[in-house]
Amino acid sequence: MPDSSLRAEALGANLPPLVVQAERVAATVMQGVHGRRRAGTGDSFWQFRPYLAGDAATRVDWRQSARADRLYVRETEWEAAQTVVLWRDGGGRMEWRSHLAETTKRERASLLLLALAALLLRGGERVRLLPGPPRSFHGRGALPALAAALATHTATPMATPMAAQADDPGDAGSLPRHARLVLFSDFLAPLEQTRAMAARFAARPLRGKLLQVMDPAEEVLPYAGRRRFEGLLGELPALLPRVEAVRDLYAERLALHRAALGDLAQGLGWSFATHRTDHRPETALLALWQALAPS
Amino acid sequence: MIIFAAPWLLVALLGLPILYWLLRVTPPLPRPQSFPAIELLRDLPVTEESPARTPWWVLLMRMAAAALLILGLARPVWGPGPEAGGQGPLLLVIDDGWAAGPDWAPRMAAGLAALDGAAREGRPAALLGTAPADNAAPPRVLGPMPAADLRARLLALRPKPWPTDPAAAAAALAEWRRGPFTTLFITDGLNSGPLGAALGAGPLSVIRAEERPRRVLAAPRAEPDRLHVTVRQTALPIAAQSAVLARTADGRALARAPLTFAPGATEATAPLELPLEIRNQVVRLEIEDEAGAAAVALLDERFRRRPVGLLPGAEEGGDAPLIGDVFYLDRALAPFAEIRRGSLDSLLSRPIAVLVLADRPVAPGREEQALAAWVQAGGTLLRFAGSRVAERPDTLLPVQLRAERALGGGLTWEQPQSLAPFPENSPFAGLPIPAEVSIERQVLAEPTARLAERSWARLGDGTPLVTAESRGQGRIILFHITATAEWSNLPLSGLFVQMLRRIVALSAGVNAGPDGEVPLTPIEALDGFGRGVAPPPAAASLALAALEATMPSPRHPPGWYGTPGADAAFRRALNLGAALPPPLLAALPAGARLLPLDNVPAERDLGPWLLAAALLLLAADLLVSLRLRGLLVWRVAALVLALVSPALTRPALAQEGAGAIATRLAYVVSGDTALDELQRQGLAGLSDFVNRRTAAALAEPAAVIPGETDLSYFPLLYWAVAPDAPAPSAAALASLNGYMRNGGIILFDTRDEGSGEGFSPGSRAALRRVTGGLAIPALAPIAEDHVLRRAFYLLNELPGRFTGAQVWAARDQDRANDSVSPVIIGGHDWAGAWATDARGQNIHAAIPGGTRQRTLAYRFGVNLVTYALTGNYKGDQVHVPAILERLGQ
Repeated sequence: MPDSSLRAEALGANLPPLVVQAERVAATVMQGVHGRRRAGTGDSFWQFRPYLAGDAATRVDWRQSARADRLYVRETEWEAAQTVVLWRDGGGRMEWRSHLAETTKRERASLLLLALAALLLRGGERVRLLPGPPRSFHGRGALPALAAALATHTATPMATPMAAQADDPGDAGSLPRHARLVLFSDFLAPLEQTRAMAARFAARPLRGKLLQVMDPAEEVLPYAGRRRFEGLLGELPALLPRVEAVRDLYAERLALHRAALGDLAQGLGWSFATHRTDHRPETALLALWQALAPS
Repeated sequence: MIIFAAPWLLVALLGLPILYWLLRVTPPLPRPQSFPAIELLRDLPVTEESPARTPWWVLLMRMAAAALLILGLARPVWGPGPEAGGQGPLLLVIDDGWAAGPDWAPRMAAGLAALDGAAREGRPAALLGTAPADNAAPPRVLGPMPAADLRARLLALRPKPWPTDPAAAAAALAEWRRGPFTTLFITDGLNSGPLGAALGAGPLSVIRAEERPRRVLAAPRAEPDRLHVTVRQTALPIAAQSAVLARTADGRALARAPLTFAPGATEATAPLELPLEIRNQVVRLEIEDEAGAAAVALLDERFRRRPVGLLPGAEEGGDAPLIGDVFYLDRALAPFAEIRRGSLDSLLSRPIAVLVLADRPVAPGREEQALAAWVQAGGTLLRFAGSRVAERPDTLLPVQLRAERALGGGLTWEQPQSLAPFPENSPFAGLPIPAEVSIERQVLAEPTARLAERSWARLGDGTPLVTAESRGQGRIILFHITATAEWSNLPLSGLFVQMLRRIVALSAGVNAGPDGEVPLTPIEALDGFGRGVAPPPAAASLALAALEATMPSPRHPPGWYGTPGADAAFRRALNLGAALPPPLLAALPAGARLLPLDNVPAERDLGPWLLAAALLLLAADLLVSLRLRGLLVWRVAALVLALVSPALTRPALAQEGAGAIATRLAYVVSGDTALDELQRQGLAGLSDFVNRRTAAALAEPAAVIPGETDLSYFPLLYWAVAPDAPAPSAAALASLNGYMRNGGIILFDTRDEGSGEGFSPGSRAALRRVTGGLAIPALAPIAEDHVLRRAFYLLNELPGRFTGAQVWAARDQDRANDSVSPVIIGGHDWAGAWATDARGQNIHAAIPGGTRQRTLAYRFGVNLVTYALTGNYKGDQVHVPAILERLGQ
């Protein structure tokens, strides 16, 4: 079992199990499985109805029938799992960490993705990985397979010389409609690219959430003196004679960028949150849970 | 004082401000920083022009490096030699006679410094030594030639054990002189006669040691119980101390006579008091800490144990206990004189100092003539009276004999007489007279006018007891009593012994020799430092009679002369100090500039050091620059530093307790990496050899530091003494002394003796320094029957890489440690002979060389290890036949 999936399991175990649409299935025993509000196959009690001719005798609920004069049949609710689509940016920008953080942004994003997936799988949801095999993972045992798929996704671009590439979740064509979508990235690409990608998924339609994973250095710009900044995707370097002089200006720009991302998400009916790699991942997971639950 | 060999390069220092400006305006390279959110940083307005300056300390470092580079290329020289000035070639005149020995090193330093100065100025130089050369060639001017080429000639110069020849030097100078020249005269300060005037022709600088007097050890004067040593010196305005050491043939110092010179005094005399038995072992007197032939006086047979011939009155029965004629004489003389017996002819056929005739009349005719001639030539004839002599007096008596008288007999009124105090002019003056000595019979002397002055001892009533008379160079002494207890009890007293001793000491010794005209060939000569060497090629033989009056010269160097052939035991010393006139300081030549000789610091070229410092600074600057650009990880830098400084690491020391697990040899860490490696290789090679050849199993040798390492595990410490070895610390001394006390053996190796003479100059002084605080027992050369020579192999010599010198071990047997010597001291560089490389090949060539020497060196090593491991067990083996024989009986 890959190490990352172990850590994700451990992380997921610390949280109460995620319950999607808890208000609809108050009585569900198995978290994450929510009823279709119709009688059908399932374990959850739905209603008692009077015995009709033709019903099998075994379906009679004798305890309920004994309270009255009539025979009652116990009906259970029809249950169905939902698909949650996950993507984390594996691009060159994510493969970076500053001296202020312990992990790279990609490691943190992978961890969050797997933790979320662990919770979801435990809750019985189906999890789909982007870009990945055109099948959903389900069942508690699927987490290692998911982690392996994530690893191959990461490994493929790293093996090529063009490691410093941007990553893209790909096409939304094969995704189930009305699935939930969670995107982990630093969203530092130009705003237009992000907007186009989000629009592609929103048109499917999918309801999504953007989680911006950032290094603390990217927020506070802790450098000083004369520096030549070099991008990770082969961008032109930028020479700053005194970094400390532009720190406030940079913070301003970052805030503007985030505001634009927030507007973008809101326009699509999505949500947007940020996470720093020097913060605890549990915080972000809780926020995700809160974002996923009340819809 | 510093001068520059290439001063015009200093102009480049003017460029430093420009360099400073350039360094200041050039900002440092920006530190690169990868950053994903670079797009957000793009086109940020630059609010202020950054003061992107190189840090001031980097600037300072670079400026210092540049300045050091320029200074280094300008080749500064620290403490340059005396400037000669003037024009033309530099003529270096050096007094290399006998007075040069004590301060030869500073003279060479001054000369070399002058040559270096001439080489810098590009002027040629010439060299003139004022003493005749070893091959008796008169002084000659070498050159002019480039000063650098003359260095080797100067270094080849050695002080000579004879006086300088200023006249010949002046002649050589006149012959050489063509144009103008400048002279640097390194002189004794003694009279340089015509040379000074000849040198005055050009600019002249004179270098001489002002504080150091020139000292000469004059011929010692022997007295019965002491030697009077006299040292003459050039006058000093202050009081001075000196001392004379008496040494034996094997170099041991037996006595030391301190001398004090009053201010302005030119001579000091001190007695060297030694019992005669000890004095006979002294062959060499020397002024302490003064190297030179004039500071050495060799003592030959004239000063040594005297052969004494004994001739009893009757041919048989002379040795009969208590009543024999010569029984008491033999007992009294044996401790300090060599006693010879035989007929008169056989006794006189060999050199003999004193001839004792105990109541033996001399037959007139041939026997009388032979004895008279022998006395005339310097023999001392000691006669004892008796009934036979009293009956037949002869001519070989100091006084006319009159009659025999008996005192205290039954038929006389007179009482036995005791001795009167000795007269002042008697050689016996001062001897205490025991009260119990009494004389009962004596022969009386015919009273004459000169009887009183011929009497050396009298009885209480004034009659002479001992009379003496000088004849020629010799002397005849008569005891008016017998040499037995028959006439008196004097022969029974200690006074008798002392009187005989004084008489023997008074004798002239064996100066007659074979014949005055026999040529004596040089056996061993003294060199300019007073050391014994083989005679130089020009040395010629010298007639015995001429020896006294000979001034040492290349043809007759000071040293030992002897008869060739069978009678080689006869040898005489030619001493320089005895022949030299008292040394006198001469005035400076007119117009000369006087420079002091001492404290001329060695000239030192600072250029390479400055360049090295500049390179170091530049290397540091490179590291700092890399660091500023973020291209350097400190850990890498530390690693690089660790790699480039292996010299700073110490050799791996013996792990605590490593010696307890396996037996292993150990060497003392000297601090010199090369020497430590040599010791390690040497002991490793020896351990291999020992493991192959013997039952001993030795592990890898260990390195120890006395005082830090526990020495108790190691049977043997090898200590190659480096010339700069410091004195051990108190802790080290305690540790080493404890080690030796408890049975450890330390082998000190100075690596510069025998055929390796001069390989490691200064290590003997270092040995004195190192062993100063150690409890070293009295030493003696390792004897032929020493256990070290037979512990495993039988060895006649103990060579290492070198051979031919003495190896020393404890003289006395100390039963406490099984008679094992705690130290062995030598200079044969054994480790060098034993050392092998990883393939087992010997690394260092032996000198003079040969497989035999190498094998013997290893055999000595095996004996040494066996000795260290088994003590004198092998010494016991030597006695096995004797023990078995005793058991058999």
